[in-house]
Amino acid sequence: MTILAPTSTTTGQASGGTTLRSANALAQRGLRNIGRLPAAFVPAMLMPIFQAVAFSGTFFAITRIPGFPTDRSINWYLPLACCMGSGFAGIGLGFSAIRDLETGFFDRVRMAPAPRSALLLGPLITCWVRVLIVITAVLVVGFLIGARLTDGLLGLVTLYVAGLGLATIAAGWGLGLAYRFKDMRAAALMQLVLFMALFLTNAQAPLAIMSGWLHGVARINPFTNILRLARQGFLGEVTWSNSWGGIVAIVWLSTLTIWFTNRGLAKLPK
Amino acid sequence: MSTDVLDLASPRATSSVRLAQVASMSRRSIMEMVRQPALLAPSLIFPLFFAALGSSSFGKATGLPGFPKVDNFLDFAAAGSIVQGVLFGSVIGGAALATDIELGFFDRLLATPTSRVGILLGRLAGAATFGAFQAFFFLLVLIPFGARVDSGVIGALVIIASAALTGVAFGGFTAAMALKTGSAEAVQGSFPLLFILLFFSSAFFPRQTMQGVYGAFANVNPVSYLVEGIRGLMIEGLTATNVAEALLVPLAIAIASIALALHTLTKRLASR
Repeated sequence: MTILAPTSTTTGQASGGTTLRSANALAQRGLRNIGRLPAAFVPAMLMPIFQAVAFSGTFFAITRIPGFPTDRSINWYLPLACCMGSGFAGIGLGFSAIRDLETGFFDRVRMAPAPRSALLLGPLITCWVRVLIVITAVLVVGFLIGARLTDGLLGLVTLYVAGLGLATIAAGWGLGLAYRFKDMRAAALMQLVLFMALFLTNAQAPLAIMSGWLHGVARINPFTNILRLARQGFLGEVTWSNSWGGIVAIVWLSTLTIWFTNRGLAKLPK
Repeated sequence: MSTDVLDLASPRATSSVRLAQVASMSRRSIMEMVRQPALLAPSLIFPLFFAALGSSSFGKATGLPGFPKVDNFLDFAAAGSIVQGVLFGSVIGGAALATDIELGFFDRLLATPTSRVGILLGRLAGAATFGAFQAFFFLLVLIPFGARVDSGVIGALVIIASAALTGVAFGGFTAAMALKTGSAEAVQGSFPLLFILLFFSSAFFPRQTMQGVYGAFANVNPVSYLVEGIRGLMIEGLTATNVAEALLVPLAIAIASIALALHTLTKRLASR
């Protein structure tokens, strides 16, 4: 067992080590909760699977509209479902934080000599692992019902990047609201905003066949870029021009929502 | 005094007292909803949001083979929005009944000389009123944005009546679930089931454009026929077939669901 004394020469190393150790402990707790509270995780995994199946079946015919980029509706809706699942996995962190605030666990963690950054990093690691599980589960079902990659494994990489990015954005948003409201009143706002942000895009149909007000909104919505990043490996070749917009949106929005979380955390009563 | 007692015991007096009890319970269930707008808002806002999204996303789909003749996608989507709203609203009613059970109010009602059936019928009358209001509200919002009711004012009234019956039909199922489980959480848990019924129907896209398992499921899903009855009045006009489909399909489901709810109520009372 290594004890890192907070002396002047080892302070940085000690602090970094403590952050990682504390974050790891919190992440382990979050992952154990998947098994202990399956009711909180299973629906979050089943909903995107249902969405992929339902959307691709119900809206199957839109692939016949001239200009639609694929003849497989599942190729269009599978990445959307993965992104929705990832986003809601991120929001789930907000729910967990509210539960911890209500039960007093969060106060006990804050009293421990753990750096504040660990309080954010630990749950984020849990969230990323959850996202990997959710996306993989949705992909397995999607491939079984006919989804096909159009540019090899690179398409999977961009999908996972988009999913992890969306989860980070949503986690920042969910945790920020949880620290401000400190009770379940925040839940509706967390979900509603994420839902609207994702649906006011080319979620249901490509920009090229869209008309009316939504076309204008979707064109400037940064989440459209994230969906483009996620979908490109199912619609054609993976290109930099289809990727950079999504990556910029992820970096920018993640920074913004994590700053929002940090501010909320700082404002919590001591 | 004895005359009064005899009068109250007469069949006519008994039925008028029961009616008053049902009206009172119905009024309570409506006020319960009105006082919690945060609970109602999703069932009013989400269907409109989906209709607005659909009309922009799928506007060009109206020319596809198998798509009914409509002026715009909103004409097609309006019926789905109404049924979607009423289905979501029925979960609120069921959850409210379960909350009454959880908090002990249901038991206090049973301790009074209230008709047992009246408690259930009052709740369903509330669901019918809210369903009718939802249909009226959706038509009021969608018509200025281009939705048309080709069957005119009479058709609109039939649509409102159909929504009221749909409220009873699904309110009966959620009430049965509330009486069986006594848990608001369990009733809320039926939401995904309703979502599945809604999505695998013709609520959002015509059955004629669906293939394979989806098409087969939509063909046997009663929600498809609920929606198509209302849709017929929206886009085809006032015909006997459309009126019959709009009223008889929800009526048939309502009879089945009320029977189920009454059976569950009887079992719950017997187990006390």
